[in-house]
Order: sequence, then C-alpha cells, then structure tokens
Amino acid sequence: MKNENRMTFGRLPRVAAAATVVLGLIASAGPAGAWSLEEASAPYKGTTIRTIGEALPPLEAMDKLKHIFEERTGITVVIEMYEHSEAVNKVMLDLNSKRGRYDFILQPHRELGRFVANGHLTPIEKFMDDPKLRDPGFKPEDVLYQGLWKEISWYEGKPYGFPFTALTMYLWYRDDLLQDPKEQAGFKAKFGYDMQVPATWEQYRDLAEWFTRPDEGFYGTAIQGRRHEALWYEWLNFLYSFDGDMMEASSGSECGPIIVNSPAAVASLDYYKSLIEYSPSDTLNYFWDDVMVAMQQGKVFELIMWNDATYAVEDPSQSTVSGKMGFDIVPQGDGGKVGQVEGWTYLIPEYATNQEAAFLFIQWMMEFDQQLEQHMNGGASARPDVYGHPTVQEITYSKASMDTNAVAIAKPTIPESPEITEILVLELSNALAGKKSSQQALDDAAVSMGKLLGDCAPLKFPVM
Amino acid sequence: MSVRKRVDRLLDKGVGPLFLAPSVLLLVVLLLGPFIYMVVLSFTDLSYALPGRDGNFLGFDNYRRLMRDDPVFWESFRTTLTFVFGVVSTEFVLGFALASLLFHQIQRRRFVLTLLLIPMMLAPVTVGLMWKLMLQGEFGMLTHYLRAAGLLDPQTALLGDHRLVLWIVMLVDVWEWTPFVTLVILAGLLSLPREPFEAAIMDGARPWQVFRDMTVPLLRPILALVALLRGIDAFKEFDKVFILTGGGPGNATELLSIYTWRINFRNWDLGYGATSAFMVYLVVLILCAVFYKAIYWRAGGGQG
Repeated sequence: MKNENRMTFGRLPRVAAAATVVLGLIASAGPAGAWSLEEASAPYKGTTIRTIGEALPPLEAMDKLKHIFEERTGITVVIEMYEHSEAVNKVMLDLNSKRGRYDFILQPHRELGRFVANGHLTPIEKFMDDPKLRDPGFKPEDVLYQGLWKEISWYEGKPYGFPFTALTMYLWYRDDLLQDPKEQAGFKAKFGYDMQVPATWEQYRDLAEWFTRPDEGFYGTAIQGRRHEALWYEWLNFLYSFDGDMMEASSGSECGPIIVNSPAAVASLDYYKSLIEYSPSDTLNYFWDDVMVAMQQGKVFELIMWNDATYAVEDPSQSTVSGKMGFDIVPQGDGGKVGQVEGWTYLIPEYATNQEAAFLFIQWMMEFDQQLEQHMNGGASARPDVYGHPTVQEITYSKASMDTNAVAIAKPTIPESPEITEILVLELSNALAGKKSSQQALDDAAVSMGKLLGDCAPLKFPVM
Repeated sequence: MSVRKRVDRLLDKGVGPLFLAPSVLLLVVLLLGPFIYMVVLSFTDLSYALPGRDGNFLGFDNYRRLMRDDPVFWESFRTTLTFVFGVVSTEFVLGFALASLLFHQIQRRRFVLTLLLIPMMLAPVTVGLMWKLMLQGEFGMLTHYLRAAGLLDPQTALLGDHRLVLWIVMLVDVWEWTPFVTLVILAGLLSLPREPFEAAIMDGARPWQVFRDMTVPLLRPILALVALLRGIDAFKEFDKVFILTGGGPGNATELLSIYTWRINFRNWDLGYGATSAFMVYLVVLILCAVFYKAIYWRAGGGQG
C-alpha cells in the first residue's frame, strides 16, 4: 500500500492524497481480525515509552510526529535529545546498569557489536515474528535499502533493529561560484581545463587552491581536523576512495587482516593533509559543526559533509548560501565511486520494560508517511520509495544522497570498533598536526589495532 | 540533672566517638569506599565494551601494561608534569609580584582586588569557552591583534599548532588562577607582624634582604599551602583543556586526566582506567609528600 502511495503521488498528488485517506479509513475499519495499530497497542494503552538520541533534525522531526502515534494508541512517547557523545555515553551506562530506563534507543551503528556481544539487545525477530505486534504490511525486506539495513542494523547475520537515519557523506560545493563566468575563465587560464564539479581528487584540490583567498576570508575547503570522531569519519571518504580500508573483512561484524597502513591508505592521508593549505587556519580545531557554520557563513567553496546537515545549509533562515549550493557524490580515486555511511539505528534493549510498545512505535515510524515527513525535515530515510517521491526529488541533495547510499561501504561494527575509532582519531590528528608522517601515524595505528584485536587481525603491511 | 551534666556523663562513658559517626559514615561512603573500589578495579579486566571481560582478577597485569607498554600514558604524564610545573611556578611568581604590589603600592586595594578576582570566580567551562572564542583562528580577538602586530602567521591558529598549543593552554590557566595565588599571599602579607620589619629597616636592612630573610621565611607555611593546592588542582585539570583542545592536536595537550577519561568513558575499559586513575593519585600523593618534606626540612634547617 505504501508503494502504491508513492507511485500515485508521482502522477496526481491530490488524487493520491485523497486515496491514501480513503484507504486508511478502509484499513482502520477493516474486517475483524485484520491487523490495526489501535488493536495491537490496546494492551499497552497508558504506558510511557522513553528513548534517547542525538539532538539533530531527524530526532526533532520524530518529536513532532509522535503525537499522532500517541493519539492513536494512548502510549506516551518521551524523547531525550543529547549531543552525539552524550547520547552514546548515557546509553552505555544505562545498558550496563541494566536499569532499563530506555524502551528503545537510537545509536550510531559502530556501537552495535559491543551491544550485541554483551547481550544488551533483543533481536528484532522476536517482535517481527509476533503476529499481534507485526503489521503484515510492513515488509522491511522489500521497502528498505537492503545493503543499508544490513550495514546499519544487522550483526552476525541477524537484524537488531531498523535504520533511524542512513547518514552518508558527500560533496558540498558552491554552485553559484562554479557557474560564475569570471571564475570559470580564471580557473581555465590557470589550470588548463574547464571548471566543473570535481570528479577526481586532483580536480577537487585544484578547485580548493583556486578559491583559497585568505585576504577575503574565503577558503577553498575546510577539513574536520579536530581530535574528534568527525576526523575519522571524514578521512574514511578519502581512504575508501583511494581504494584503502581499515581491515580486510566482508562484513562489519567480522575481524580480518589490518590494512590501515597500506600504500593506498598512506596516500589518502597524504592527500587529506595537503588540503590543510587551502583550509581556514583553525581547521585543525574544526569538527562537523564548525565546517557547517563555515559553509553557512559563505566562507568556504567545497567540503565533504554529512547529509543530515544539508538541511541546515539549505535553510534560508540560518544559511547565507541557501539556494547557491550543489551536492554530489565524493570525487573518485582508484577505489571508484564509494560512500561512507554511518547510520543511527533503532534498537530495543534487553532490559527495556515496554519492549512491545517500543516496537509498535518503531514499526509505525518506519511507515512511508512518517519516513517521508521525517526526511523532508532533515532526516535521511533508508527507504528508496521516499527518495522516489517527487517532493523529495526536488530537494537539491536527494540525488547525492541516493548515489552515495547505493555505493556505501561497510565499516567495522565489532565490539572493538569504537576503540579502533579512538586509535585512528589520535593518529590522524598526529599526522595532521605534523607530529608524525602519514606513514608513521598509520603504522602506529596498525600496531595499536593489532594489540587490541589480537590473532584475528594480523598486520598485512610491514610497519616501517 | 541539667542537660550539660547529662552530656558530660555520657561523654565520660565514652560515647563521644558516636557523635563522629555521621561524618565518618559520609567519609566512608563518599571517599574511602569509591577509592577502595577503584583500587580493587585496577586489578581486574572489567570492560563495558568487550565481551567476556566481567571483572576477572588480573593481578598486576594492568600495572605492567601501564608501565611497560603504554607510550601514550607516558607522553600524557610528561605533558602533565610540564603543565603542572609550568603553571604553578608562573602563577607563583606573578602572584607574589602582584600581592607585593598591592601590599606596598596600591591604596585602593579592595577595588583592585575585586577586579583581579573575576577570572577565578568564573566556572572553568566558561573560561574554556571564552578563551576558545578569543583564540579562534578566523575571528578570534586575540588572533586578530596578534596577526595585526605581525606576531602570528596568517596560516597559524594558536590552538591548532602542536608546538604552541600547550603553552597557550598554560597561559589560560595562569590567567585564571594567578588571582587566587595573589589573594592568599596578600592575606599572608597582611597578617605578618610589623615590628620585626620596622626593626630590620631601622638596622639598615635593604628591601631585598627584608624580602629574602624575613618576608619569605615568615610566609613559608602560606606559600607551601598555595603551592600544594595549586599543584594538586593543576594535576587534576580537565575541563578547560578539554573544551579548548579536546587533548589535541594529536596528543599535544592530552593531560593524564583527559587520558584517563578517554580510557574509562570512551573505551569503557574500566579496569585499566582504574589503574591509570590510581597512578595519577599515587603521583599526586608522592609529589605532595616530597614537596611538604622539602618545605619543612628547609624550615627546620633555617631554625637550626
């Protein structure tokens, strides 16, 4: 029914909207025994479910939608919003204390392994197999990007939840400047080819160089160089694109040989470091918020940034460059077209006291209408039909999101993965600060990862 | 029998220590208990992140790992020592100079002192955020003036350069805590008896001799206390540095407190984190003992 909705909206929006209402009414007054949210939630009427997540537009959008669910079910939904690290830490403490404060949690998928390995999560199958709870119309195997769902919410071949946001990073650039004939002529005179959306890293750097004008307070790019996980996430785009990776493993839940110090990885870090020259002087103190602000203030030409922040840079009430932006998949290196994806995922803790009510809410949120609404308000849905909706297609960054989703690369989600992130953040920061060469920093990272992971992760490349 | 007599009789019967019970209980629950738990934890492999590490006894493995196989710990240790000795000595010299200036030269002492105390009264988080803005590479006020004066390269940001950043962080701490040192030393100067100083001047002592042979020896207990308090406080420094740099770039400003936080609350390696925390405690304890010994040994030598 949801797919039909999408297709109808594509042709005759008003008729489709009316049809949706009619179909909804028919469904709610359907034959006895047919599944309905109202009936399924009746045993849990009056209960309160609590969740926690990162204070960003997708969660704010969910907060605005929840009243519909509350009115239909009588279940109250309490949402706690915190900064990224705070949201992760609070969940970690709650799970380990086994208090069950949260009935469902929203967490970055790099945490999945440590949650599963410590027995903190209830597999989603428990609820999906319960006919009283599962909406027969909800078929995640059909309606979600399968690669993203498995990357974000599965561990060791088992689903533990559904994607809350399919976060990817892609290229942001100032399209107005790219189209400026004066800039085009100057660029061609200097570099000998037409100015265009960068398809390769060489072109990306040429553009960064061309637009770096410190006297005007304008820079070609900005990198997220602060010692923070933002640095690691950003570098992964370069690493994957240069055909490198951290480990050789076929899925995030597997351990494998360490290749983080491969020649490709070193080349990616050397290249990444070379962009400092074309970035604001404070770039080594920037993380995602800072580069976003730099772009919103019109101080930067291009950068690699998250899709859930795109909403803010295209919002005229908070951005000076709204309507002037272009978005595309990150430039290509030897690794071809790649995307770095980090989803936040819905999960149900083992110790939650209202698991069933929580599942009903999650299932409801995964429906097309809620996904569309959330996506239009800064979310990043994992449902392809949402991206197919004409309203969504009008969004300037939809194509970049879809293209990146299609080529997303899995990253480790093993229990040690957050610690691997810490190791790499430190060594990347050392390399950017000039304390170590790229080779030395990645060699040191490889050794530290080897110590952490033990026998399952031998070093593939010799340490200098 | 009057209440007083009843109390006296109870005290005679030895119930006095009972009155201490609430304080002792609080001490045990809030200080001794957690401390013992930390020490016990440091001998285990407890981790909230890794499976199978449920607090198994490891003996001294964590300590061995820390001493022999953790270069980041030792780098943080060196950074912390540089920070502590750098800030405490600078604050001491500046604090003494300012206190002397206030004591001898300034008439409207109370007004000036109130102004001086403002940095100390701010929350460390506020200090961190305020200085972060002033040192910001693009629009920071200080950065702007330093560049205008030709003292800072346009491509250099004070908090982004690994050779400068520790000194900058120390400067912020000196700005925040010198008023405290000034205040305590000034209180010490005001409490000194005037007669010996007048007698010394009558006998022809020069200002430097008065300072060296009278002011400093008489102030020694106060100076020791200030140095000790600031030393311990600087060793525990976390919030300002965390806000200003997060320990970076690289580990240029990763103090032991930040490193310990990282092990405990980023990696959730609580056993090893407790070992690191215990080592910090031991170092502070040893430094305090050595420092105190030195002060009183010199005092004893002087008297003898």
